[in-house]
Amino acid sequence: MSYRVPVSAIYRKKSPLEGLQQHMGKVKECISLLRDGFIKYVDGEYEHFHEVSEQVSKLEHEADLIKGNIRAHLPRQILMPVDKRYFLWELREQDAILDHAENLAQLLDLRHTPIPDELKEDFKKHMDMVMETIEEMEKAVENMKDLVKTGFAERERKETKRMIHSVHKKEWEADQVRYVITKKIYEMEDALTPMNEYHLLKIVDWVDDMADHAENVVDWLRAMIAK
Amino acid sequence: MLLIIAIIAGIAGLYMAWNIGANDVANSMSTAVGAKAITLRQALVIASILNFLGAVLVGKHVTDTIKNKIIDVSLMSQHDVTLGFLAALLSASLFVTFSTWRELPVSTTHAIVGGVAGFGLIGGGMEMVHWDTLVQVVASWVLSPFAGAALAFFMFKVIQKLIFDVADPVARAKQLSPLFIGLTIFIILLSIFTKTRVGTELNYTMGEYILISLVMSAAAGLAGYLFFIKTRAHAKKKKYDVVEGLFRRLQVMTSCYVAFSHGANDVANAVGPVAVILAFSWQEVDTVYLLAFGGIGLALGITTWGYKVIRTVGGRITALTNTRGFSVDFAAATVVLVASKMGMPVSTSHAVVGAVIGVGLARGLDAVDLGVIKKIVYSWLLTLPATAFVSILIYRGLIILF
Repeated sequence: MSYRVPVSAIYRKKSPLEGLQQHMGKVKECISLLRDGFIKYVDGEYEHFHEVSEQVSKLEHEADLIKGNIRAHLPRQILMPVDKRYFLWELREQDAILDHAENLAQLLDLRHTPIPDELKEDFKKHMDMVMETIEEMEKAVENMKDLVKTGFAERERKETKRMIHSVHKKEWEADQVRYVITKKIYEMEDALTPMNEYHLLKIVDWVDDMADHAENVVDWLRAMIAK
Repeated sequence: MLLIIAIIAGIAGLYMAWNIGANDVANSMSTAVGAKAITLRQALVIASILNFLGAVLVGKHVTDTIKNKIIDVSLMSQHDVTLGFLAALLSASLFVTFSTWRELPVSTTHAIVGGVAGFGLIGGGMEMVHWDTLVQVVASWVLSPFAGAALAFFMFKVIQKLIFDVADPVARAKQLSPLFIGLTIFIILLSIFTKTRVGTELNYTMGEYILISLVMSAAAGLAGYLFFIKTRAHAKKKKYDVVEGLFRRLQVMTSCYVAFSHGANDVANAVGPVAVILAFSWQEVDTVYLLAFGGIGLALGITTWGYKVIRTVGGRITALTNTRGFSVDFAAATVVLVASKMGMPVSTSHAVVGAVIGVGLARGLDAVDLGVIKKIVYSWLLTLPATAFVSILIYRGLIILF
């Protein structure tokens, strides 16, 4: 007979908030991998990119399993310190970053589009700014641990809010670079083949999408930590 | 024939004590083990010794309570009362075993009350049962969880506002440590004075007890402060973990106290009916022997079955850090103290369950499973009817046999 224990079943061993951090771990791993691969790709080093794309896909799948596990073990009766609806939306946006990362990696892998020399630095800069946005978002989400530890102390709330503002700022900056790159691509349109132009525009858009979803994550996070 | 009944009663009493020890040890020791404040082996030794000591040293003279408070035994023949108490004992034991297996923290006191009321109802009719006692039991279903929740909510909010919410939580925790140590010691002392035989034998007034407890807890708080002030935060260790570390020591104290008072209070549920049966079927037995007998049963339950209980809980309890554990323990102990002072038959389990919800509502816990709580509440409502019904069945059977 397996032994079961009174009282302890009320507080769960596996917390949904822990699952959220685990999922974030996959986001971190995946995005930094993609970033390094992307920089090489821009410089024309295509030979290892296929492996990067496969790795990104693998991590995306692992994150999906974590996401599914969190959702499957969150019945209506669970009382959480944050609003459960916001929590689930936050998770969804976190996962959307990975979906876009996978799409981007596969697009890059399917067709090795040469990046024109005059755009290389801008592409790298843009990717790094998106990366910074995501890193700042990761910090904000990780600060949830301290928030819960302290029972939502005002100091930790302020800390999280500061991080959220920083994500908004960085996302906006990335948008500006995206605008400049897009403008340059249109200016170069006579020198580009239509297919190359199409792909360049698409790459810029999809890199930027990841920052947009990072912004959505912190928006839901802001709702979660509301008093 | 009567000797056979006496022997069966002894075995049933041991079985009940074993049940109580195995089931309730998780309430007292699991938080401390889970937070790695003490090892599993230490917890077993401490819980066994404290339960035994609590039972023997301050175990209540509850024979009369069990005998007279629930039913009016004068309305039945001695023979029938003897068989009835045996039926009640068996019925309560079986119910506790079942509840433990089903993960339901029920009150062993309520189980016994149900069992005794059951055979009383059949043996002597409606007028035999003291309904006011049963009404109190029903009232305690509502009162103790709500009071536990409110107090734990308040306690956690106090810790949160006074410690976590200031610029330097570690320094503040050290400054306030005398207050929390003092409060803990105060509740422990007051409980021992007012709830156990120590109080009746010293025979002071309530005001004097409060005064004595205040002085002693102030001294303990000061001593604890001198001890804590040396605690330095390791550079690498996060500041919140240092705060939890301070509360860990308080939690060891409350755990020990719960183990001790558990032995003192609940041993009667096993020993009380046995005492009545032995007096009627064989001879009066000195209470101290009976209490020691019950204490051994509790210790046995802890070391044989309780081992697995604590280990399982220890692994599951990560969500309950020391500040939360302390809030829960403190609230439960206080509710039990105040309620029993008011003469209410409350259960530690009920107060603990309420307290966990209270901390959850204060945004202190990652996830509280309200579904499990619904199940637990059903089991509380079921305790009286179920034990009464089974007790009636067993009683009918025993009447045919003997």
